[in-house]
Amino acid sequence: MAKLAGVFAASHAPLIARDWHLFEEPLKAKLTSAYQRLGARVNAAKADIIIEIAPDHWSNFFINNLPSVCIGVGATHLGPPEPFLKAFGHTTLAGAPQFALHLLETALASGFEPSVSHQLALDHGFCIPLWRMELDPLPPIVPVIINSLEPPMPTVARCVAWGNLLASAIASYPVDARIAIVASGGLSHSIGEPTMGAIDEAFDAGCIRAFEAGGEPAIVDYLDAALRTAGNGSHEVRNWVAAHAAAGSHGFELIEYLAVPEVYVGCAWAAWSLAA
Amino acid sequence: MKRTDYVLSKLFFDLQSAPAAAEYRADRAAVLDRYALEPEIRAAVLADDVATIAPLVNPYLLRYYCTASGMPEAEFLEKIRG
Repeated sequence: MAKLAGVFAASHAPLIARDWHLFEEPLKAKLTSAYQRLGARVNAAKADIIIEIAPDHWSNFFINNLPSVCIGVGATHLGPPEPFLKAFGHTTLAGAPQFALHLLETALASGFEPSVSHQLALDHGFCIPLWRMELDPLPPIVPVIINSLEPPMPTVARCVAWGNLLASAIASYPVDARIAIVASGGLSHSIGEPTMGAIDEAFDAGCIRAFEAGGEPAIVDYLDAALRTAGNGSHEVRNWVAAHAAAGSHGFELIEYLAVPEVYVGCAWAAWSLAA
Repeated sequence: MKRTDYVLSKLFFDLQSAPAAAEYRADRAAVLDRYALEPEIRAAVLADDVATIAPLVNPYLLRYYCTASGMPEAEFLEKIRG
């Protein structure tokens, strides 16, 4: 049977790639170190498959057909469409269709109705963490997109349920495989709004405290209230909530937090505890 | 519930393509002729009237559009922050 090999999270920002050449050396060093330290944890997990939970940034979906949740079941995924991510070097990424279909079937049998895609493009939300964590080898990816881009979005409580479902699908997968989860996104940021560029460090600290403390009601209650006034990009923390629940909600270890105005994002990197 | 302008959103979505953005920068009117925008919305687009456009589209699409249209980031920030 498959085993949950580890649960991790990292922020992303397109400017981490697009504007990298403009950054001062100390910032480059801090960002590089944070991704590398998390990447060392992910590499140590020796995952055969990574479920990566990330938002779609209008790369796959539009408002003519906008899934709340989509599972990518393709044997391959397209690499990032953004031209500034050419250096990532992957025009395609391997998928894990057998497990992805098991996840899809487990979801449908459990009262969840995700969308399904046989070919997703993995944009910067997926690829910046994969690239900057320097995963070697890069395991096959099962993408799970949770809509955190355009309201209305899945509730925070539903993201908890999705996390529990991911854990259940891993536990019931009848193959000897190590499966890790990487959540990408958050913490606070505001894009294309009047508050664009604002980083809400109090919001970020509240998230970190709640994830560190463990449990589910506290993070749900906190986010139900705090997301109303945090920037629009902050909604990506839904991916972290799903990861939190998938890990058993025992709490996480914060690896780094950096408020980075150069990329408009309150950036964090974390690894969850898998046992109480 | 906010009002979403579907046609305007579709224009901004389509302009994520580099060739489409290049065409738009070369001749906005010709591209806009292919989208059935309401006259006042078309005028706002031609005038870079971000304050009028912003409530009608997803903020990420708005940002992408402003980049695709050639608006410098500093100018976009000034316009969106009002």
